Amino acid sequence: MTATSVREPGIPFGGVAVAARMIDAIKLYGAGDTTVRALDGITAEFPAGQFTAIMGPSGSGKSTLLHCLAGLDRLTSGRVMIGDVDLNSLNDKEITVLRRRRIGFVFQSFNLVPTLTAQENIVLPLSLGGEKPEPNWFADLISALGIGNRLRHRPAELSGGQQQRVAMARALITRPDLVFADEPTGNLDSHSANELLGQMRAAVDSYHQTVVMVTHDAHAASYADRAVFLADGRIVKDLYAPTTDTVLDTVRALGG
Amino acid sequence: MWRLTWVGVLGHKLRYALTAFSVLLGVAFIAGTLVLTDTIGRTFDGLFGDIYRGTAAVVRAQEPFTPQASFTSTRPRIPASLADQIRQVPGVSAVRLSIDGYAQLIGADGKAIGNPAAGAPTLGEAWNDVPSMNPYTFLPGSRPPATAAEIAIDKHSADVGKLRVGDRVRVLTQGAPASYQLVGIFRWGNADSPLGASITLFEPATASVVLGEPGKVNQIDVAAASGVSQQQMVNRLRAALHDPSLEVLTGKQITKENQDAVRKALGFFNTFLLVFALIALFVGSFLIFNTFSIVVAQRLRELALLRAVGASRRQVTLSVLGESLVIGIVASAVGLVAGIGLAIGLRQLLILFGIDIPSAGLLISSRTVLVSLGVGIVITMLAAYSPARKAGKVAPVAAMREVAVSEETRKLRRLISGCAVLAAGLALLLTGLFAHVHNRLPLVGAGAVITFLGISILGPLISRPMSRLLGAPLLSRGPIGALARNNAMRTPKRTAATAAALMIGVALVALMSVLAASTTSSVNAVVDRTMRADFVIDSGGQPGGATGFSPSLQQKLDSLPQIASSTGIRAGSVRIGDTSTVILAVNPKRIDYLFDVGVTQGSLLNLTPTGIAVSQRYANDKHLRLGSRLPVQFTTGTRNFTVQAIYTARDLAGDYVLPIAAAEQNFSQQLDFQVYVRLSQGVSAAAGRAAIQSVLADYPTAKLQDRTEYKAARTSQIDQILNLVYGLLALALFIALVGIANTLALSIHERTRELGLLRAVGMTRPQVRTTVRYEAVIMALFGTVQGLIVGVLLGWAIVAALHSQGVTVLSVPVLRLLIIAAVAAGAAVFAAIPPGRRASRLDVLAALATE
Repeated sequence: MTATSVREPGIPFGGVAVAARMIDAIKLYGAGDTTVRALDGITAEFPAGQFTAIMGPSGSGKSTLLHCLAGLDRLTSGRVMIGDVDLNSLNDKEITVLRRRRIGFVFQSFNLVPTLTAQENIVLPLSLGGEKPEPNWFADLISALGIGNRLRHRPAELSGGQQQRVAMARALITRPDLVFADEPTGNLDSHSANELLGQMRAAVDSYHQTVVMVTHDAHAASYADRAVFLADGRIVKDLYAPTTDTVLDTVRALGG
Repeated sequence: MWRLTWVGVLGHKLRYALTAFSVLLGVAFIAGTLVLTDTIGRTFDGLFGDIYRGTAAVVRAQEPFTPQASFTSTRPRIPASLADQIRQVPGVSAVRLSIDGYAQLIGADGKAIGNPAAGAPTLGEAWNDVPSMNPYTFLPGSRPPATAAEIAIDKHSADVGKLRVGDRVRVLTQGAPASYQLVGIFRWGNADSPLGASITLFEPATASVVLGEPGKVNQIDVAAASGVSQQQMVNRLRAALHDPSLEVLTGKQITKENQDAVRKALGFFNTFLLVFALIALFVGSFLIFNTFSIVVAQRLRELALLRAVGASRRQVTLSVLGESLVIGIVASAVGLVAGIGLAIGLRQLLILFGIDIPSAGLLISSRTVLVSLGVGIVITMLAAYSPARKAGKVAPVAAMREVAVSEETRKLRRLISGCAVLAAGLALLLTGLFAHVHNRLPLVGAGAVITFLGISILGPLISRPMSRLLGAPLLSRGPIGALARNNAMRTPKRTAATAAALMIGVALVALMSVLAASTTSSVNAVVDRTMRADFVIDSGGQPGGATGFSPSLQQKLDSLPQIASSTGIRAGSVRIGDTSTVILAVNPKRIDYLFDVGVTQGSLLNLTPTGIAVSQRYANDKHLRLGSRLPVQFTTGTRNFTVQAIYTARDLAGDYVLPIAAAEQNFSQQLDFQVYVRLSQGVSAAAGRAAIQSVLADYPTAKLQDRTEYKAARTSQIDQILNLVYGLLALALFIALVGIANTLALSIHERTRELGLLRAVGMTRPQVRTTVRYEAVIMALFGTVQGLIVGVLLGWAIVAALHSQGVTVLSVPVLRLLIIAAVAAGAAVFAAIPPGRRASRLDVLAALATE
């Protein structure tokens, strides 16, 4: 199955609202001779309603990019904008609240708080801010993700795929500006992985959700509107409407 | 394997440091107590050795029976004329007539110097001009008393009372209050005074009148000519006196007797402090157990890997036990050093309480070192034993995958063993409290320890539902409250063990509170029910103690027109049947106006000097009726009394009451420890008070109390003891709170990744701290609730056991217990600060990346 056949082509730069933007981003780790340039002058825009895959070999800086973009880490220099908010201007508390309200997360594993039920995990970003979910939105989400009969279960009682879908629901519950997914299918079997990727795709298509996903899996990247390739902390390729084949070709071309 | 032990200790410095701290505190307390009491003991050994250096032998009366009250004697006085007989004995070089008795000095500010009811005694003695047997060294510019109007006093009293040579000093004795010229200030050996006791020296003839009985002395000290040994002297004296009622001791024996008396007094102090040290260590052992359990759980994979590569069970167990040994040694060693510092602090505290301790180097005996180190190390290793065994039992496959243990069978085993231990503890405790056994305290103590162990074994079974219940109110706080509650519930054993430490401290506090409240209520109930007097004049002394008022006080009060009726209460040590006891004597003609003792047969009014009143219960037990004969042994001999009245109010009067006339004939000391007064009709309380005060001006130790004040004074004594016990138990509570902080720190360490996730999805730092705080409060409340329940039940049992001692009312101080719970919860909030801060400062990314 080729995903490109069932979706709109990627929306090009300009003219469209930008969900997130990174400008001249530099991130250094360590000091002196052992300094590592994890991000080496990256400028990139993530338009609203677009599904972007970030790819690259280990150590290319793709996770660092995601962490800095998501407000989990700070740049050494350069700027990150979420909508029109400059993350540099925010303190820890403000960034935390921004993450809670405007950003959703799906990690590779250990996504859920083990002591809370699925439902409590889903509404966690809202309830931390003392808010309640819109009943209709909540009902839509759990039916779209197929977890309606799992809400009272604890994470330990859920399968890996179910856990990731609960995490997806939590990421979407606040209707965030951006959903960040860090290797979300890394621990799943191929059936569950396809299911989750399809649901992410659907969120982009049906709710105009912006998604940024780090992955090293060409098949996963093929669900995206765009694949950004990193190497040594720089963007080396920006591929629109990627397919498994074009992604694999690009990886080979860059690696070889 | 030793290398692994070291690495294990070094790798968990912080958590082990917190654990070691609890051991350190307990050991410091033990070491401090031992060093202090050894030091004081040695100082007094030296002092008594010096003082009796010149005494070859002592002649005194046999003690007819051992008195009920400690540190008092029933020894009668002996005739002074014996001295003449003794001087005739060959080898006697000098004779010293020793007279002592109650003498209360009044300071320059009009206040009594020293309080014998709460500290060292206030003694009067006769001055004796025998240099070889004189313990007193007079300061320059002062001299011994030479006339009936002169006295000399010890330096400690002179300093406290701001008295100088040449001053007129008032002294209270069994005679009427009188003023004397202060002509001398002396030291006792090289101390300012013996243990802070106040000593007033009178000229011998005066002493025999105001302190004892004319013509009689307490004992005769004998110095021997050179070449005559102490034993030879004693043998010659025995032969010459030939009187079985007399006792002749060598100087060495009397020295040892005095040294032993000081050691016995110190022994009480010692035991009191050591009990609290052991409570602290017992509480600390829960902390050790918990830390090791958590560390073992966290290192499960590592331990399994060791097993997989070939380490035996024994080796794994020993490596963990080795860690506890290292911690035990380090903590005990530091605790020992800290204890020496504590001993210095405690000495200052004693001096503050007016107990004079001559300065001398601290004595650190090898016993102190061995006991402190031994107790610290053994307790640490005992507490770590069960986690260490568990470590050895880890299956090697656990290195590869999670191994679940079947919870159900373990729960049943836990329930059975917990109930068995609890039952054994309660059985011991109740036997100690209610059975007719000789030495109750060890049984009660061991019973309490085993009961606490039983409850803590059962703790994990109830900790989940209890956390659920106690955390329920937090649910209104949204996910933070739910998280805190669920965290407290997720490791029931850990929560239970942490709470158990607090449970013990709170239970003891609650127990003491119930006991104190019940005693207070009982006292108040007795006063309300039986006291008809308007005022009590209290000496602050105990019945049978060496203090009180001269009977002249009651006589003066009785002559006031405002006063309708009054009686002094005199007390003396006696033996009736096989029981040593303190008997009260009153004026039977006045008692009906002052007390309602519930006379059921006969009449107190007609009590003759050879009549006795007994309680209904005693009469029933001993089959006594009106007219029955009851022999009473006094220090002066046995007399026969006739039962002439039977009464019911034994909680007020005890089992027997004598008329004052009998006391005057038979008690060795004529001091009223209280005087009860009823005003004439139509005299207002204010007018009555003013009239009494005018008489009391001469008696500075007297405290005038109306009924309310009297009750309050009795209550305040109980409160003072309670506050002291609270202060010492605070140590145990503090250790328990360290335990909460420790458990939280370890739990947070385990939950690093979860915290990273929570922070990523939008939990703010204050919210993280709040979660930790709530969890601490749930654990603290769990421990507190258990402690309150256990404490109140134990208090109830002890109150029931004390029913025959006059504690007849069970009173549960609800408000005070609620305050205790609130304080514990509040303190837990503080305990949660360091782990909360650590949790909130976790780096989100690093936390997320944690395995």
